[in-house]
Amino acid sequence: MKRSTLFRRPAAERLDTGRSGDFGYLQSGEVYLDAACQSLRPQPVIDALTDYYTTYNACGGRVKYAWGLKVDAAVADTRKAVLGLLGLSNKSHAVSFTLNTTYGLNLLLQQLPLGRFTRVVTSHVEHNSVFLPTITAARRLGVDRLVLGRAADGALLYEPAQLEKAVVVVNATSNIDGRQLSNLADLVRDTHARGGIVIVDAAQAMGHSRALLQKTEADAVCFSGHKMYAASLGVVVARHELLTSLELGFVGGGMVSDVRENDFDLVQGDPAALLEPGLQAWGEIIALGRAIEWLGDVRPGGLTPAEHITGLSRRLHDGLAEIPGLTLLNTEPSPVISLYAPAQDSHRLAVFLSHSRISVRSGYFCAHHYLKEQLGLPPLLRLSLGLHSTESDIDSATQALTRLMKGLS
Amino acid sequence: MFCIAAFIVLVVMAAFSAKYRRYVGKAWNCTWRRVTFRPCDTTFKQDIKDHLLAPIAVRRPGLVRPASIGLEILAVLVLVTTIWSGYTVVKSAVNLYVYGTCNKQDSASCTLGAEACSIPDETPGFMESLGEFDVLGAFGNEFGSLGETFAAIPARLQTWTAEDYLPANASYLTEDTANPVAVEVIDPGCTFCKALFQNIEEAGFESAYNLTYIAYPIAGTEGYKFPNSLLVTQYLEALRLHPLDGAETPVDWQVLERIFTEKAETGLPWQETINSMDSDEATATLVDWLGEFGLSADQIDAVVTEAASDTVTDIIAANKTLVEEKIATVKIPTIIFDGRRHDGLVSVDGLQ
Repeated sequence: MKRSTLFRRPAAERLDTGRSGDFGYLQSGEVYLDAACQSLRPQPVIDALTDYYTTYNACGGRVKYAWGLKVDAAVADTRKAVLGLLGLSNKSHAVSFTLNTTYGLNLLLQQLPLGRFTRVVTSHVEHNSVFLPTITAARRLGVDRLVLGRAADGALLYEPAQLEKAVVVVNATSNIDGRQLSNLADLVRDTHARGGIVIVDAAQAMGHSRALLQKTEADAVCFSGHKMYAASLGVVVARHELLTSLELGFVGGGMVSDVRENDFDLVQGDPAALLEPGLQAWGEIIALGRAIEWLGDVRPGGLTPAEHITGLSRRLHDGLAEIPGLTLLNTEPSPVISLYAPAQDSHRLAVFLSHSRISVRSGYFCAHHYLKEQLGLPPLLRLSLGLHSTESDIDSATQALTRLMKGLS
Repeated sequence: MFCIAAFIVLVVMAAFSAKYRRYVGKAWNCTWRRVTFRPCDTTFKQDIKDHLLAPIAVRRPGLVRPASIGLEILAVLVLVTTIWSGYTVVKSAVNLYVYGTCNKQDSASCTLGAEACSIPDETPGFMESLGEFDVLGAFGNEFGSLGETFAAIPARLQTWTAEDYLPANASYLTEDTANPVAVEVIDPGCTFCKALFQNIEEAGFESAYNLTYIAYPIAGTEGYKFPNSLLVTQYLEALRLHPLDGAETPVDWQVLERIFTEKAETGLPWQETINSMDSDEATATLVDWLGEFGLSADQIDAVVTEAASDTVTDIIAANKTLVEEKIATVKIPTIIFDGRRHDGLVSVDGLQ
């Protein structure tokens, strides 16, 4: 019997989303939908990294020879590009490089001064990179830890009094359903008014939703290069006051101007160095600079990155919503969509999809507390988009899932 | 169950491909949890199953559920067959050590042991019992047989002295009081007994040992394995009861020598010829031979009468008990010398 089309959603408008040549290395038929974990690197970024390793593969940091000077200049350009991306000034903020977002958050939280704060505040909808360090930070500081809810639109649900001398650590964009911290500006204002600080986990935001963080007044923003088309790298953008107030526990070369038998002098006038003990990932930092440049220039199918991602997000959301037997966590389209099939194991679905060369993530996406403990959900499936994604990728994934759900039920 | 089966399969696959070695450790952890009655690592189990089912899921998702059930059944079968194989290997190894054959029920079928005619075990085999829906009997007989084998290990380790196993009226191929005694268990119709006799002669064994024999006609499914073995045995025992005075070689040994080493007028070996004769022809042949070997008509009559006597019947029965219970061999020939029991055909080198 032919089904009525009366209540069907209209087909999503077709976009010109042919694969950008910058991802030309991606094999035909390969569908990568795990950009929330690690975005695919465009060829210019790969080239920048290769160029460093093959033409001036040297240390940066106070060297006198040509290669080292070139590295120092490129690293300085990247710091400047990062600040430019967020609309911040080097007069108030510094950019430090580290391993990843988790490492950056830990560097800040585990070195906060004792006695200044009375509370650590976070939310239920957090990645373990926030959730776990806030637990240990509260223990170290000897203060309470308050876990607040988030509204459907991503806003943190708080009473201003709860922010008294608080260290607030929250994500700007959820890695589960892409919801954004819509009241970031209010949160920062209310926290600062009560002597607290705000540290933002921007790992998921920097790729496709940076607008929220433009000229942010937050005290620190931590993110990962590998989620914004760069090589694997962590970045901490922090206010000078926060950096200089840290009680440093992680120290090493690159942070000091002089060392004596039982003491040392920290380098002056370079707050960024306070989070950079030891040798840096020079090539990866340089590649981040190139990724930022690329993000500014790229026009997939003639669209801006935001238009491209928004169109694909809608198509993906609509396509998944039509598949019987799937429950979506998202209420709105987003580049990150989590779902589960009550009658099927998500890990199994991920393996089956993988056999069709469709890469999706399964499990709790490092958000065990929210998904498993609070919502009591089984392991989930997550599909996340990047600038390499195309309509064809989405259709392949939704068709494969439809077929699986039909056959397995 | 699935973890254990996966471990077994992965161990085998890892032996040939490094690709699978990384999984063996995981599979072992899972298996160890299972055998110590703790929950298996379901992630590992699921991973393996999902990867196996993925090709089916891509082509025919509807077949995933039955295939999943099939995998579980396969896992049980892999486990059961592995346990059974392991058990069979152990059992065969012990049987090989104790009886010189890996298959106690049909020793001739085991190529690992020396060649021999097997003494069939009339106890029904495991599968045979299962076929008759006698599950208790199947396991009972199987483990009973295994227990018997283990119980025989001390006997295998003992020093075997031929004098302890001599039959009534033992006759010797050659006799020298300075030589030790050797005793062989033979069936006149068994081709490997013929081969052993030829090896004995080639090795000059009879010069080094006072060799005697226990004639043991191997039972068959109906009557005897070789139809005239009992008849020949009866004559051999009768000849032992009525030895020919002055004979250089005892007449019973001369009969054996002819059966094992000479040929009939047809060109066929006498053993083969006798095995194919009916009872009357075999009797007539033996009677003819007695005349050839120097027995008078009266002496022949006495032997013929004795062969059918209760005395001979009793001797054969006693020898049967001696072979089956005291020596407890399952292979013919068996020869005891040099402190050991040698089951099956012994080579010339072995006899030297």
